[in-house]
Amino acid sequence: MASPLPSPSAPSALERALTDLGPQVRRGALPSLPVPRLASGVPALDALTGGGLPRGRVSEIAGPDSAGRTALGLALLAATTRSGALAAWIDPDDAFDPASAAAAGVELARVLWVRAPGLRAALRAAERVLEAQGFPLVLLDLPPRAGEACEPARARRGRALDGATWPRLARAAAAADAALVVLAPARHGGVWTELALELAPGAPRFTGTPALLEERALYAALARGRAGAVPGRSATLRLRAADAAA
Amino acid sequence: MRVACLLVPDLPLAAALRAHPELAGRPLAITSGAGPRAQVVAVSAGAARCGVHAFAPLLHARALCPSLVARPSSPALERTAREALLDVARSLSPRVAPVAPASGAFVAEAAVHLDASGVSALFRSEAGFANALTTRTRALGLPAVVAVASSRGVSLLAARELARGEGGVPRTDLVRVLEPGSEAAWLAPLPIDLLDADDALAEGLGRFGIRRIGELAALSPRALATRLGPDVLRLLALARAESDALPLPPPTESCFEEAIDLEYAVDRLEALGFVLRGLLARLAERLALRGLACGDLDLVLGLAGGARDVRRVGVAAPTQDARALTGLLRLALETRPPTAPVEQISLATRGADARRDQLDFFQPAGPAPATLARLLAELEALCGTGRVGAPGLADDPRPDAFTISAFAPPHAPGAQKAAASPHASLETAPDVAILSLRALRPAVAASVRAVEGRPCWLHSPVAKGHVLEVAGPWRTTGRWWSRAERFAFDHFDVFTDDGTLSRLRLDRVRRRWEIDGIYD
Repeated sequence: MASPLPSPSAPSALERALTDLGPQVRRGALPSLPVPRLASGVPALDALTGGGLPRGRVSEIAGPDSAGRTALGLALLAATTRSGALAAWIDPDDAFDPASAAAAGVELARVLWVRAPGLRAALRAAERVLEAQGFPLVLLDLPPRAGEACEPARARRGRALDGATWPRLARAAAAADAALVVLAPARHGGVWTELALELAPGAPRFTGTPALLEERALYAALARGRAGAVPGRSATLRLRAADAAA
Repeated sequence: MRVACLLVPDLPLAAALRAHPELAGRPLAITSGAGPRAQVVAVSAGAARCGVHAFAPLLHARALCPSLVARPSSPALERTAREALLDVARSLSPRVAPVAPASGAFVAEAAVHLDASGVSALFRSEAGFANALTTRTRALGLPAVVAVASSRGVSLLAARELARGEGGVPRTDLVRVLEPGSEAAWLAPLPIDLLDADDALAEGLGRFGIRRIGELAALSPRALATRLGPDVLRLLALARAESDALPLPPPTESCFEEAIDLEYAVDRLEALGFVLRGLLARLAERLALRGLACGDLDLVLGLAGGARDVRRVGVAAPTQDARALTGLLRLALETRPPTAPVEQISLATRGADARRDQLDFFQPAGPAPATLARLLAELEALCGTGRVGAPGLADDPRPDAFTISAFAPPHAPGAQKAAASPHASLETAPDVAILSLRALRPAVAASVRAVEGRPCWLHSPVAKGHVLEVAGPWRTTGRWWSRAERFAFDHFDVFTDDGTLSRLRLDRVRRRWEIDGIYD
């Protein structure tokens, strides 16, 4: 025999019990623990992101060519390697420039450079590096047309990075307590991204006679963020030529 | 001195079963020769029960046992099985010597002598040591017996007697320890053929009616030498259990090799991969016995027609992970496939010490050394040789030069961290990062319109439009003495009206414009 359904208007037994017990009983909730963060060494950027990029999560730095995503990636790499930790740069586009990295203050001996032959190999390599643990920062530098050029079969349908990629990477990053930072022209990660920065380039400044490239402005906006990183906030940064900085 | 003898009685059969474990339990015959002249040289217990015996023609053996599986004898397999036996011995004793090949009834045996002095302290007893040897040998797929005695000769005789069994029935015990002083008495009732005398000597001993070792030991050396020649004195010393004082050689650096002669030539990489996987698994087992990891691999493929394909496959970090090593070999073969079907494969490596690190208590912990080694090997298998490692600055004037070296991070933070870091000078500017270059490899060709040598318009897949700002040129030249390698570039930093800030260069040798990087 079916039990009669309780009337929506009548208080349930649980609610009556809660009322009777009074303030001794409260709804429980897990305390929200602060997410450890990896500072970039650029104070304005760290302020924008709430202290740095979150560890154990996927973050994205997206922007067109010349917007400065490589510079911010190298700043993160420099801060991490100078602290004595290891970092990995997964590079399917073979675009990593050791001279620029050294100029940005990266300790090259602590960088594992993986020149993956294609996007699929790059994603697999990123996953393996995360699984190995001990690399608190893994940078995945997606090529300009990650969705088109690298994986012909799926890319033509706009599915170069299939639906299973991001949850898998996010789980691996969480297990390794590592910050997985994806540098790409456009955002890919969707809901699996904890923090997303969108970059836009400003005008460069050439000074002196003969002219020398001195710096370029960079507009960074927080498109997605949690726990201290407020979406919608933005900051203006400057990318300065290494010679000028010295 | 105490000496152990590790003996595999039927090496051709054991080597075949080691490479093809799926044949265990089936009636198996190892054959020599081809076609109707093929002859059985070794048989498994299953085949022996059907009446098949060594030296029988294969056709006759098949008539006796229709389900007989015949495999041609493989010198490569037997050689690597002998080496595996040596590895087992070296894993438990520093002084090891292979026993010279025997003749007659013992031609199929393989044996190793090893120093067993003082092993009781480690293994509680000499029997414990012998048991450890048999366990390790069986783990490598080789059935072996072990005898421990006071001399090489007696230990070999004891091992032979153990392997022979009683009345053709194999013994269940695989270990025999002869106490010092009791050896001559133990040898006395054994048959004289255990001594493996050559045919003439065996015939002479038989003519004199000497059937037991004890009967030989009782005779006068002078009388024997007069009648049977000086060679009999060696047998006499053995029969009397007199110590042969030859020292065992000191340890030497060894090379590990696994090889196989294929029954049929293989022309597909996939099939080759299966064979390589088995070879690598056996190689990894042997390396693990010695506590070593696999370094660079030397792969030799014997091709149909007699040619040989020799190649060295680099391993980023020594590893024992057979899966990662298989991936490396597969990649090497896919990159440059063999030019003809493969008939023989040999895989060799020098054992390398597995990477060990003392981690720093005050530094962030990196991956465990073994994990890192396996990771590097896997990544190299995934990406290719020379594509995984630590980046470096090359001592080369070419603007696009770089190095990539084995990833071996230092323990302490680098000394250059503060001094060389431009961030040190940026501490007063909290919103500044360093402008970086995103390299384009290879450089992208560009169409450029220039006025007085300075670009004013360009078109390329990465940047296009009017040049709004330009800096340069900076000339880099080098290798002028070599027509093939010389270079001369004029570099410009250009900002085009599509918003791209790129590094443009005029290749003065090839007379063309290229973009070799984007400031990003």
